[in-house]
Amino acid sequence: MRDRCSRREFLWQSSSLALAAGLGTAAPAVAERAEPVREFRRRGMLHRRLGHTDLYLSVLGFGSHTDPKFKRAAKNHSVLTEEGQKRRDRQLARAFDLGVNLVDTYESDGQWEPVARLVRPKREKVLVSICRQFPVFVGEHIDQAAKLFGHVDLYRICVGDGSATTEEILEDWDVIRKAKRAGKVRSIGISTHSERMMASALAELEGLDYIMFPYNFIHARADYSEFLPAAIQKGVGLIAIKPLAAGSIVKLDPKARPGSKPENERVMLYQKQDRPLLPKVVAELTKSLNRLPDETLCQAAMRFVYSRPFMTCAMPGMFQDHELEDNYSALTRHLELQRAEIQALDAARQLACMSGASWLPPSYRWLDEQWRA
Amino acid sequence: MARLILGLLVALALAFSPGRGRLGCDTACSEPAENPSEQKPSKERQQARPEFKAAGVCARCHVVSVLEWGVSKHVAADTNCQKCHGPSKGHVANERNEVKPDRLPRGPLIARTCIGCHDDGCPKTLQTNTCQKCHHVHALVNPNERVAGDDERLALLLARWGRFRKHLESGDREVQLAQWKAAQGEFENALKQIPGNHQASTRLAMCKRRLNPVIPGCKIIGKEFDAQIGLPKEVMVAGHDIAMVLVPPGQFDLGADHLVDARPVHTVDVEAFYLGKFEMTQAQWKALMSTNPSIHQGKEFPQAGRMPVEHVSWNDCQAMIQRLNERVPGGGFRLPTEAEWEYACRAASDSPLDHRALEQFAWFRGNSLRQPAGKATSQNPDTWAPRPVGTKKPNRWGLYDMQGNVSEWCSSFYRPYLYDAKDGRESLDKAGLRVLRGGHFADSAESLDPALRHPERPHRRYRWNGLRLARSVSGP
Repeated sequence: MRDRCSRREFLWQSSSLALAAGLGTAAPAVAERAEPVREFRRRGMLHRRLGHTDLYLSVLGFGSHTDPKFKRAAKNHSVLTEEGQKRRDRQLARAFDLGVNLVDTYESDGQWEPVARLVRPKREKVLVSICRQFPVFVGEHIDQAAKLFGHVDLYRICVGDGSATTEEILEDWDVIRKAKRAGKVRSIGISTHSERMMASALAELEGLDYIMFPYNFIHARADYSEFLPAAIQKGVGLIAIKPLAAGSIVKLDPKARPGSKPENERVMLYQKQDRPLLPKVVAELTKSLNRLPDETLCQAAMRFVYSRPFMTCAMPGMFQDHELEDNYSALTRHLELQRAEIQALDAARQLACMSGASWLPPSYRWLDEQWRA
Repeated sequence: MARLILGLLVALALAFSPGRGRLGCDTACSEPAENPSEQKPSKERQQARPEFKAAGVCARCHVVSVLEWGVSKHVAADTNCQKCHGPSKGHVANERNEVKPDRLPRGPLIARTCIGCHDDGCPKTLQTNTCQKCHHVHALVNPNERVAGDDERLALLLARWGRFRKHLESGDREVQLAQWKAAQGEFENALKQIPGNHQASTRLAMCKRRLNPVIPGCKIIGKEFDAQIGLPKEVMVAGHDIAMVLVPPGQFDLGADHLVDARPVHTVDVEAFYLGKFEMTQAQWKALMSTNPSIHQGKEFPQAGRMPVEHVSWNDCQAMIQRLNERVPGGGFRLPTEAEWEYACRAASDSPLDHRALEQFAWFRGNSLRQPAGKATSQNPDTWAPRPVGTKKPNRWGLYDMQGNVSEWCSSFYRPYLYDAKDGRESLDKAGLRVLRGGHFADSAESLDPALRHPERPHRRYRWNGLRLARSVSGP
């Protein structure tokens, strides 16, 4: 018997073996590649993939709004007092400890430097989201951000609440797409409150990675019926802003505001209306909330967003330490909403609908009309 | 020795045989017949030289070595290239010969390789360290011993090869003296000796072009002609004042590793073509289309006519090109492919993007602030503006504003690399994203990277998107 085979025999045998091995392993390998991981948990924090990008966002993001009590200067100026900045830095550090990996800086004039300082040691783990700011040209704005943060993970333009994309939006979009190709930005998106604008952006904006839009249990009832299926089908990442309806949901649940008196809160809400509210609605909400002994309405509201698999992330603004803990602890439960929670949310929705725009903070009352439309 | 010389000559003759590409040497496995019509078909020729099959991929380039190895007893003993040189996968994969084989023994190391099998040393001399003194490394024969019988055939081949070289050299001398007619005759004679030889046919085509230097619809500018292909280096489209520069044929590395959609970097062949010396100007567009779609025109821009046309879509460009082709005899105008564009932009330079040097060559956000500087506190795209074409330095091939000023539409569909012009990406019919290249006046320096691809819908118009015309070179 020969102890060596010829080159031809060797090639034939080895190629047959390779083919057999390949057939056995190729199918699962292809399947894995075709369907990348959409979500995973890491130390209690749930992470989801942002659209078709390679970014995984924690489902709880840290919103950009700063506490107005500590603002140093005029409106929309996010330079905080020393005490305010210390509080915010502490909250942000705690958020990172809890596994939050997304921090937004809408107001670039005051918060870029502090965020950059906090993020720098863990830049690979934390994703920075930045919004286009006027009056700086979008290309210049990206360059400034990229210089400070190394790169921008999520960059968006606030496209306003019109009905369609304009020439200016398209030009800005062209610039940020190129910035993404040049490696300065990792994902690009828009933020808007208007469903018509969202639908228009889906159709018109090439390479749209994500949309930031208001999503909470009150305004997600029948809204977005056209936009959402189209966005999901396109695989666009969806980030919920105002998951607590600009803070107004906090107002409906006294437990979410330590130190406040339940009756006073509700009566205050009731009395603010010119037209009388049905006391029955308030009673219904109270009854529902009492069925949630170990949970606040805010947690249920956050879980409403978390439980939607198509929502990549919810990004509430958080001013108080307990707000961060509250939003995080909503994640520690089973995500699917229980009957008692659904009843509480329904009751709160009913109350919000009946109280008109006044249930929202004064600066956000315009949203009520927008959303109801 | 005679066999070796014979093999060498055969290999050289076949290396210049018709239809030979870089990897096309696997047909080079038989000696050329005296009369070309007597040549056997390639399959039979391959069967006649089984060592080519046995050598596999090595035979594609190392024709002479395989021929030498073919006469040795190593073939029968299954001692192939890998046995001495190792698997050399990196060398096989790297077409540009930048990776050496795993083992390349020289000097005393050759004998050590032999001992790997012949551990008892030479059966005749019992030597173990001077193998190459009596044995050729591949053929194993003793170069000092003559083999009878091959002398006559060798003499014929040598004579034929000598005549070919003589005609080729004479032709080259005539080319030096600009005697194109005489050179043409020499190259024709050389081709009679080795029909279809690539070198001789290329030079013959060049001579024919020099004898009849006519580019339909174009005036020749200057007296410079390309030495390899014989075409004028610069022409002007008659009646339209569009200057075009000859881009010589060649190979280059398309793409860049640091850009996500420009990977992988891969080698692409580009044929010679003419490319607009400048971006198409507003005046040129207006002369053809009777309208000027540009945003940057009017009183604020007194030199608007010399500024690049912008705010044009890919579809607008196609309409303009169609009109130009109808008006200019010979037609053939088109947008450059993205491979052609990048090749022309790089102009045979591999150096990375140098931001400081860019200042001399391109208008971009760093230097194209609108004049006079506006007092507005807010910035918008109006803060910057394009400049008249040709106001910066040209690249090495004489092309102006390849980077910056306005982005330039290419004909190509936006598809992932590898680039293959034949895979449908150059089709003009289908709908889809088309590629823009080069960056523009409001772009940062990084966006002017020659490899950066920017896809856009073909109907979209932006204030910074323009074009540069290209024209194919017709055959001799």
